[in-house]
Amino acid sequence: MDILAFLAFDDTGWGDEMLGGMVITLLVSVSAMAIGLIFSVFATMSKLSNNVFSRVLGNTYTTVVRGIPELLVIYLFFFGFNNALMAAAKSLFNYHEYFEFPVFLTAAIAVGIISGAYSTEVIRGSFLAVPKGQIEAAKSVGMSKFQIFHRILVPQVMRYALPGLGNVWQLTLKDTALISVMAIAEIMRTAQIAAGNTKEPFVFYIFAAILYLTLTTVSTHALNSAENWANKGVRRA
Amino acid sequence: MANALEIKHLVKSFGDLEVIKDVSLTANQGDVICIIGSSGSGKSTLLRCINLLETPNSGEVWVNGELIKMRQDKKGQPRPTDHQQVDRIRTKLAMVFQSFNLWSHMTVLQNVIEAPVHVQKINKIEATELGLELLAKVGITEKANQYPSSLSGGQQQRVAIARALAVKPDILLFDEPTSSLDPELVGEVLKVMKSLAGEGRTMIVVTHEMGFAKEVASKVVFLHQGRIEEQGSPSEIFNSPKSERLKQFLASNLEG
Amino acid sequence: MTISSGYFQMCEGLPGREGWLNFNLMCEKLPDLLKGVPLTIELVSISLFIGLFLALGIAMMRLSNNRVLNGFARGYVFYFRGSPLLVQVFLLYYGFGQFEFVQQSFLWPFLKEAYWCGILALTLNTGAYTAEIIRGGLQSVPFGQIESARAMGMSGLLLYRRIIFPIAFRQALPAYGNEMILMVKGTSLVSIITLMEITGIAKQIIAKYWTPVEIFLIAGLLYLILNFLVTQLVKYLEIKFTPYLQHPK
Repeated sequence: MDILAFLAFDDTGWGDEMLGGMVITLLVSVSAMAIGLIFSVFATMSKLSNNVFSRVLGNTYTTVVRGIPELLVIYLFFFGFNNALMAAAKSLFNYHEYFEFPVFLTAAIAVGIISGAYSTEVIRGSFLAVPKGQIEAAKSVGMSKFQIFHRILVPQVMRYALPGLGNVWQLTLKDTALISVMAIAEIMRTAQIAAGNTKEPFVFYIFAAILYLTLTTVSTHALNSAENWANKGVRRA
Repeated sequence: MANALEIKHLVKSFGDLEVIKDVSLTANQGDVICIIGSSGSGKSTLLRCINLLETPNSGEVWVNGELIKMRQDKKGQPRPTDHQQVDRIRTKLAMVFQSFNLWSHMTVLQNVIEAPVHVQKINKIEATELGLELLAKVGITEKANQYPSSLSGGQQQRVAIARALAVKPDILLFDEPTSSLDPELVGEVLKVMKSLAGEGRTMIVVTHEMGFAKEVASKVVFLHQGRIEEQGSPSEIFNSPKSERLKQFLASNLEG
Repeated sequence: MTISSGYFQMCEGLPGREGWLNFNLMCEKLPDLLKGVPLTIELVSISLFIGLFLALGIAMMRLSNNRVLNGFARGYVFYFRGSPLLVQVFLLYYGFGQFEFVQQSFLWPFLKEAYWCGILALTLNTGAYTAEIIRGGLQSVPFGQIESARAMGMSGLLLYRRIIFPIAFRQALPAYGNEMILMVKGTSLVSIITLMEITGIAKQIIAKYWTPVEIFLIAGLLYLILNFLVTQLVKYLEIKFTPYLQHPK
């Protein structure tokens, strides 16, 4: 059928470009997820801190970023990030040259900030869910603060956070479709270009959907395995 | 006059596990039958077969002289034949559950009048009057407009009893009504149950409360591994148990 | 009109390009952005409304024993939850529009309009998520409360109407509130197929004036207000329907 011809892997078809787009999608998603996790650790500490100003800052971050459409955040970064960096370079380091910050990183940071807001809620909830008794038990056998953090707290938080973070991962994966507006050749953008070129939008958008569905399905299975591993020895509902 | 309840050769299995192996039981009007036995003996399952929350694999259940019709479905699972018959019979039987099972989105009073109004089609004003009477009877009038979640376990169970009484049942079924309660709250529920027995109501009670059974039951049935091991009056069962297993059970269950 | 000229005069007074934030522009462009609000509200209301009924249908199919219906519902949910909303929009607007048989059909006057494609995509999408929320709500009804209703002779429609649905609704409320917010945000995607709701207008202004931060702030604020209103609505419903879950007095 004609369809397979469009998806061929050589110069005549777009199959290889689409798969290349999938790789980019994955790369951006992973980077964004990682950046988001870093943000979320700080934001969680901020929201749980005793300092009112800290808490307000953390809460503002999560409320605002989760309440504004992702597309707006992406436009903000697409149109403004580079200039902001240049302005910062000018005033902080007196660097007046023009430079272009790699758009891949800009996209990863944009999606990362969004991802981080959701991750924050998950980690904060998981942190609060660890039974206090476990910390007390650790203290009473003489573990140091660092040991408690590292041996008791972190593993437990991760166990509780896994399902929620798995959700955030799926969200992040799908949000990367929006960075197509930044002309990055991930799945969506590649499909758009191919569709425009061949005048066969249906084929390519279906294929794009299939690629995303593949990514989310594989992710779901991987997360189920991870959850089972993290919960060994624990009775679950 | 037909017996209030007649169970003939009841058998119930869950998959390969035979939980009730051949039980026959008769209850006359005014009887208070207490079913005792260890966990896994099939007590709750037996009770739940009476109002068809479980459908027996074989045997007969007669309520007030009416046989509940049953059949087997395509997969060989037992099913009631006539759902309307089951619903109708259920309105004559009322059950009080171990975990109360009050409807969380309704107030106490709404819980009590729900079945009379919506199942028995009784006028709401009448039902409300009766409901308030019953709440007074179980000693919980002041909570009428509160939601179950703000009540203690003992209070919730008393509401459940009022709810059961509101449908004017011929037989009251109690499935371990005090097993979920804190010890201090058990007494208030048993007190209500004792007064019901005193009124001459027909009650079938699955319970661990031996004291209650001794005082109030007209007959005690000891179930062991799905069969009636021994049955008789409370003095026969508690003071002169015949079977070894009953003796063992009583020894391990009577404190002090 | 004196009101509008008065407003713009006030805007003139605010610091502009020379400051760190162009308040002048923010002030001037606010009315333009506000023009996108009715469309945003329209899009989200219509799609949530129709989507709810669609979701009820899908949820019923998903819970049925019929393998065909169940399978279809599963596939539906899988597709709409596993792929990005943007792909779903594009597939409808660009993808289906490609075919002759679609262009000839009676649906064409609708499907060629970005507006209807947008609503359709949003509706189908929320249908899937809401179906799962409904299913979750139904499955979370405590079994004991269903049993006690059965034991009193309730069954069928009466059981659903008096016990199962009311409890399921209350359980699903928080999750559905969340879904409503996600839908408000989802409307921004139809800007890519040229609809001029808030985000569409915002992008236009940003591309023209190169002031992403200022416009982002105003447009973002508008969305935050919309979402705040949604949250308040949900809170009101929660207080009304589950007074017993509110903080104890």
